[in-house]
Amino acid sequence: MQDTINKNGLNKIAYYPGCSLNSTAIDFNISLKKLLDILDIGYIEIDDWNCCGTTPAQNVSSELVYTLSARNLILAKKMGIQEILCPCVSCYNKLYKAAYYINTASKLKNKKEEQMRDTIIANLKDMGFNVEEELNFKVYSVIEFLYLKKKIIGEKYNEINAGRENLPANRVLLEKLKPVCYYGCALLRPDSALRFDDFEKPTSMEEILEEAGIVCKNFQFKTECCGAILSLTHKNAVLKLSNMILDSALESDANCLVVFCPLCQQNLDLRQDQINKLYKKNYHLPVFYITQLLGIALGLTPRSVMLDRLFVSPEFIKND
Amino acid sequence: MDEFYSSIQRDILKYIDPGIINCYQCGKCTAGCPLSDIFEYKPNQIMMLVQAGRIESIINSNSIFLCLSCEICSSRCPQDVHIAKIMQYIRNEAWKVDKIKVASIKRFYKLFLKEVGITGRSYEPGLIAGLNLISGKLLNDMDIAVKILGKRKINLIPEFVKDRKGISRIVKKYL
Ligand code: SF4
Ligand code: SF4
Repeated sequence: MQDTINKNGLNKIAYYPGCSLNSTAIDFNISLKKLLDILDIGYIEIDDWNCCGTTPAQNVSSELVYTLSARNLILAKKMGIQEILCPCVSCYNKLYKAAYYINTASKLKNKKEEQMRDTIIANLKDMGFNVEEELNFKVYSVIEFLYLKKKIIGEKYNEINAGRENLPANRVLLEKLKPVCYYGCALLRPDSALRFDDFEKPTSMEEILEEAGIVCKNFQFKTECCGAILSLTHKNAVLKLSNMILDSALESDANCLVVFCPLCQQNLDLRQDQINKLYKKNYHLPVFYITQLLGIALGLTPRSVMLDRLFVSPEFIKND
Repeated sequence: MDEFYSSIQRDILKYIDPGIINCYQCGKCTAGCPLSDIFEYKPNQIMMLVQAGRIESIINSNSIFLCLSCEICSSRCPQDVHIAKIMQYIRNEAWKVDKIKVASIKRFYKLFLKEVGITGRSYEPGLIAGLNLISGKLLNDMDIAVKILGKRKINLIPEFVKDRKGISRIVKKYL
């Protein structure tokens, strides 16, 4: 599909930022949009999108979370698009599952699942939407989307660096990085499309970054869980998990981490001081979004991908 | 209530994951679970309790409410039991009858969904302030709040979905 999605063609992908990307993960939002621009990939934000309901709605009622998520899918369809890019991993899981339930061609497994579809459709109608037409949604996570586009990333990178005698300034910054890729629990789910990669020993992030000349270190804790939204009610459980992840990164001789999930990013970056205090550690490991590093590699300035918004400052890449 | 608990077991065996009968208690799910040390029942014990029809014991413990749905357990089970899906189902059923063992989680979810019902979006400043007010721990996570403000990573004004009446109605239906 994707090669039909470009700026010049008619096709664009619908963009669902979700609530985090408008606040605590604004740096992910901006760096992703700028990266899409460089790659000539057209996108359009879903008009009047709502919160997917995330963990609270999911845990209270599956019907509620998939209804809230499905509303966004239907809004995309109103704009004539059924392919949706959903950068937040938590939102992605909900929108992806909602699409499974309401897509016309889905083969639902049993009576319970059919009841779920009927309830979601009834709720959508109750909200005033027309859901009679054929529904054929495809929801992409950033990691899957960038993986599909990795050739274009490589081409852009070569184009920018062709014929240069000296390394460009941005490139010099990146040379100082010794990153490890942290995937979190995103790929583990048995029913998710993210199973395109090996779920215990994934390499898709490393492969994408390599296209842009960034070489990563091996890492034991790629797919451990960071504790996610439990940080708001059971902080110490999360600090413990995040401490193990940071510790393992140091063991890999890394000086930073790369992630693609706003919750992982928050737990590891924003809470790094809390971890240092609780465990008497001295971590100083910046936690980048993959889109920030790719953006820099493809010529954007650190400021324009909002590196200054990270809590653990990546200052060392300038002056060590 | 007995019928309520036994219907949960029936539904799991029939629809949610009939494969649960294949669990042979190897403990791999529990070994990988990031929260097993704070769970009152570990994932493998929960599978055993489901098989034995002791759903009430599960609902009266903290495990299903703390579970993160990270699905490490399901992805590592040699018998392809979908542990996380089973726990999610029991959790949803417990909410239907308002039996939520972990009070802080109950407060948090209610506050969060109330906000979504009002604005159509989630609003972090309200959430953090609200959580701290209800829990009486005003300074809980203050360091974090200050940092977020300093980096301008928060919208001080909540965003509203334009067409949000339907959303409010649906949220009320389930809360
Ligand atoms: S991993 Fe599977 S088989 Fe082993 S105890 Fe857990 S549910 Fe049972
Ligand atoms: S889904 Fe829940 S039970 Fe399973 S490993 Fe994650 S936290 Fe543990």
